[in-house]
Amino acid sequence: MLKSVSVPRHDRVPQAITDTRDPMSGQENATASQWEDALTFVALQRDKAAYAELFSYFAPRLKAFGMKMFGNEQQALEMVQDTMLNVWKKAALFDASRGCASTWIFTIARNVRFDMLRKKQSRKDDISADDLWLNGEYPEPQADDEAAQWDNQLLSEKLAPHFAQLPPAQREVMEKVYLQEKSHQEVSDELGIPLGTVKSRIRLALDRLREALDGARN
Amino acid sequence: MAHAIKFHPGMALLEQYAEGTLSADVALAVAAHIDLCPHCQRLSQDITTDLAGQLAQQRVKKDPHDWSDMLAAIMAEPAMAKAELQAEQHKAQRAAYEPIVVNQRQFMLPRALQRLASNHGKWLTLGGIATAKLPAGGEHHVSLLYIDKDTEVPQHTHLGLEMTLVLSGKIADENGEYCAGDLLINSPDDTHTPRTLANEDCLCLSVLSAPLQFKKGLTRLLNPLQQFFY
Repeated sequence: MLKSVSVPRHDRVPQAITDTRDPMSGQENATASQWEDALTFVALQRDKAAYAELFSYFAPRLKAFGMKMFGNEQQALEMVQDTMLNVWKKAALFDASRGCASTWIFTIARNVRFDMLRKKQSRKDDISADDLWLNGEYPEPQADDEAAQWDNQLLSEKLAPHFAQLPPAQREVMEKVYLQEKSHQEVSDELGIPLGTVKSRIRLALDRLREALDGARN
Repeated sequence: MAHAIKFHPGMALLEQYAEGTLSADVALAVAAHIDLCPHCQRLSQDITTDLAGQLAQQRVKKDPHDWSDMLAAIMAEPAMAKAELQAEQHKAQRAAYEPIVVNQRQFMLPRALQRLASNHGKWLTLGGIATAKLPAGGEHHVSLLYIDKDTEVPQHTHLGLEMTLVLSGKIADENGEYCAGDLLINSPDDTHTPRTLANEDCLCLSVLSAPLQFKKGLTRLLNPLQQFFY
């Protein structure tokens, strides 16, 4: 079998904080679709008020992300500016039916940051963010009923110790869905996180559990 | 793809890929694997959504920074029309890259490699093995590795990390058989002797962080040639 290999990395994004109320920034309880709506207004009408709202929520958070990645304010701010400029100019490409606003903005920031780092090393002929991350979507894979397939096994005792070791954000969602039998939408409303995030946490948790059980992935 | 891909990057690699913290050359191998693997396409999408959720939900302290200039500067810029943006995207995606030709065989590469491979270095040939560097920059060495049918790569060990992504055909070593899409990761402790099958050649992407070292008998004479593989 293949051995796992450690690859150097920079900083980790911190674990999710599931409480979205944020008295510090004056932003109370962002509802799940608030940012998708705002971005859609920007896309359709170049709505400056909607954009300003998005900006005031995401700019400080992107800056915090940039500080973690670059370790200095100047580059962090450059990343914020580039990212938010792209959000403004390219809002028309955002499609709320295909994903969360936060995911769209995050991928822009990630790519901006990646290209900033590469440019700093001044190599023309080099790997770019566009090589690494598909701009768009892969064709839809087959039906997603793996979750159902795993239902039964989830309840078995064999899984319990691994269940306890899931990252807190994933475990919380899993407990609500599998132990309290709530719907994905209910969990989304309860935690104030987008439906897509609920679904992806479930799938990630299932994959971790599968990995813990059979170690199939290297 | 008719067969199932058996060897995937681990969760830790996928997470760093989605986050953008993986070194670029390693990320390139992961990206090319993802192009070939629907399972990892979905996983990396899920990881990205999760990371983005964490970004959006993080608490931030009240920031003394005054954002109003930046906001005004951005909104002074014209937004682009949807048609214009889509045209730009299509153009980038449809840039027609030629297939790679080696040993009179043609290979279409995964999306992630096409732009770089269109500018690959000269093929260097030794026995049934040919290699061409990709202009990837960075601290690892990224190359295409072509192995003719019925050919053995002499047993070697790795001074660093070796990642091999099978792009076409099949290759086998002491541990198993690898097909298109399979990603092999060998660490410094692993020694192996990859070979192709009697009737099928193989094209791989190879990412090396240090030269290979050959182990056995006369092949140790290859060690001065290790730069060839690096």
